Amino acid sequence: MRDARVDIAHDAGRVRIAVVGEIDLANAAAVEEQIVAAITNQVTCVSVDLGEVDYIDSAGLRVFFSLAPRLAGLQIALELVAPLGSPSRRVVEVSGLASLVPLQPPTDRAAG
Amino acid sequence: MSTHAAGTRKGAADRLRDIESVTDAGLARLSVDDMLVELLDRVRDILDADTAAVLLLDAPTGQLVATAARGIEEEVYQGMRIPLGRGFAGRVAAERQPVAIEDVQDADVVNPVLRNKGIRSLLGAPLLAGGRLLGVLHVGSLAPRHFGGTDADLLQMVADRVALATQARLSETERRAALVLQRSLLPERLPQVPGLEAAMRYIAGGEGDVGGDWYDMFTLPSGWVCMTVGDVVGRGLRAAAVMGRLRSAVRAYALGSQGDPAGILDRIDRMLRQFEPGEMATAVLGLLEPSFERLHLSVAGHPAPVVATGNGPATYVDLPVDPPLGVAPPVRRQAATIEVPPGAVVCFYSDGLVERRGVSLDARLQQLCEAVTVRPAEEVCTTVMVQLVGHHRPTDDIALLTLRRLDLPSAEPLDLAVPAVASSLRDIRAAAKRWLTSVGARPEDLIDVLLAVGEASSNVVEHAYGPKGGLVHVRLELQRPDVVVTVRDTGRWRSPRGDNRGRGTHIIQAVTDEVTIDRRSDGTEVVIRRRVGEAG
Repeated sequence: MRDARVDIAHDAGRVRIAVVGEIDLANAAAVEEQIVAAITNQVTCVSVDLGEVDYIDSAGLRVFFSLAPRLAGLQIALELVAPLGSPSRRVVEVSGLASLVPLQPPTDRAAG
Repeated sequence: MSTHAAGTRKGAADRLRDIESVTDAGLARLSVDDMLVELLDRVRDILDADTAAVLLLDAPTGQLVATAARGIEEEVYQGMRIPLGRGFAGRVAAERQPVAIEDVQDADVVNPVLRNKGIRSLLGAPLLAGGRLLGVLHVGSLAPRHFGGTDADLLQMVADRVALATQARLSETERRAALVLQRSLLPERLPQVPGLEAAMRYIAGGEGDVGGDWYDMFTLPSGWVCMTVGDVVGRGLRAAAVMGRLRSAVRAYALGSQGDPAGILDRIDRMLRQFEPGEMATAVLGLLEPSFERLHLSVAGHPAPVVATGNGPATYVDLPVDPPLGVAPPVRRQAATIEVPPGAVVCFYSDGLVERRGVSLDARLQQLCEAVTVRPAEEVCTTVMVQLVGHHRPTDDIALLTLRRLDLPSAEPLDLAVPAVASSLRDIRAAAKRWLTSVGARPEDLIDVLLAVGEASSNVVEHAYGPKGGLVHVRLELQRPDVVVTVRDTGRWRSPRGDNRGRGTHIIQAVTDEVTIDRRSDGTEVVIRRRVGEAG
């Protein structure tokens, strides 16, 4: 895989996945493969940190659009982490993914 | 036996004339191999011998290699190798003086060719040039024969002349080969990177011998630009070959590195110690961010680059200098980052530029700093060479690589035409990011425009062409206060297939001010407008 790294940390039933780099059409499938491989049947909660992602677009978001319903069916919780003002936060919000998957930190509705 | 004794067939005067024939001018035009064969014929004739052979020392293996032979040509065809100190030739080489063997049957002869040929007596002399052993010359007789002291003296005289001629010819051959190799290993031309200017000067070795200096500059798919100047310790063909391997290794390691020059040098260091033990090199390695704003540098026993920003005189960068590459023990290598404002000039160079006998290094570095100013890269190179080399013939390789970041604002539009494949997307974004930074777009605007460029280009890659492929054209233009992005293809779109597709256009609309999509039978053009603020 090119230009993105997937770091995985297991903690009891929880898996924290941090993606570093850029996710686009060229490497989305490879990123997805690694994320899916990290989610074993024992996992109850998946947290994907996109804070270190410099670029992600709709091709990269497809990974999460397809992952969300599959995990919901398996009763596995999914959350995305993207700091306010980061490139990934912007795309997650405008794409509508934020309405499907809880986003951390939560958007401050009063301020927005 | 006495009929074969020296001096009985030819008078001393004749033999002296014969020796002259060994070095006549007619030989000068021959290649090393042809020259040796011709010499062997003459030696055979002078000493009235049946066979004659030259074995040259192969320094890396310490073996004598049959290089030319008359009467026993098969020795050359078989590539016979004799270890130093063993067999007849090995003994001559080890003793460094003439050796005669009257009866081969009783002696330590390892070369089966000599025995099979029926050679009975041998006389050998070392090829010595300037105290250095180059090889062995020997003659053989099929009839038993006593080679006397006069024969030995004569053969040694011939051997000395053969040694001189061989050395001159070999070093000329090596020098030419090294020059050709060196040229083939250095970049033919520097890459053209919009927003950057680069120029170089390379002077191959003083005193007719190439060294191991190299320079290189290349772009990475991530938009980073890598540049390096280095120097392999040593001279000649070997240094040039090591230089070539190092240059390739730097490129390979840079491809896998994320803006970490110290990490690249660390891998080179490990590579040298593992695969090229005994080799040492110095190098400076720079990685320029895709925005061109900052240059990350790491130095291994090499002079630091000189930087001119137009704000005061040029200075050489104050950097932690780590040990050269290939020297044990390994160290944790350090990097430093410098700002590269628009218009700034950075000069990388090898020590051949600043070292001169009888002049202090500080004075030379001072001269270099005075020669480097904020002017076009070619002009800077010319001035540096005029000021620092002038009329002095260089005694060492000189490599000079000058880089200049072009001035703001680059209001020129950016035009790209790249293959519509997924791996192009990253390059498109890197170029767009550079251009947006150069027109002063704020970070938040940059994120949105890059996203729009990425989505529109991604759409072309996925939907515009069939398996035959085609190009995606991207144009970024400043129409203050807007940036206008045009993404164009010449294919016929198909509707999206698969799940979770077609979200890209929605995203473009969400992050920009105006989007028009013109879909025709001969291609599609997407024009996007986005207001950008100036960076504070």
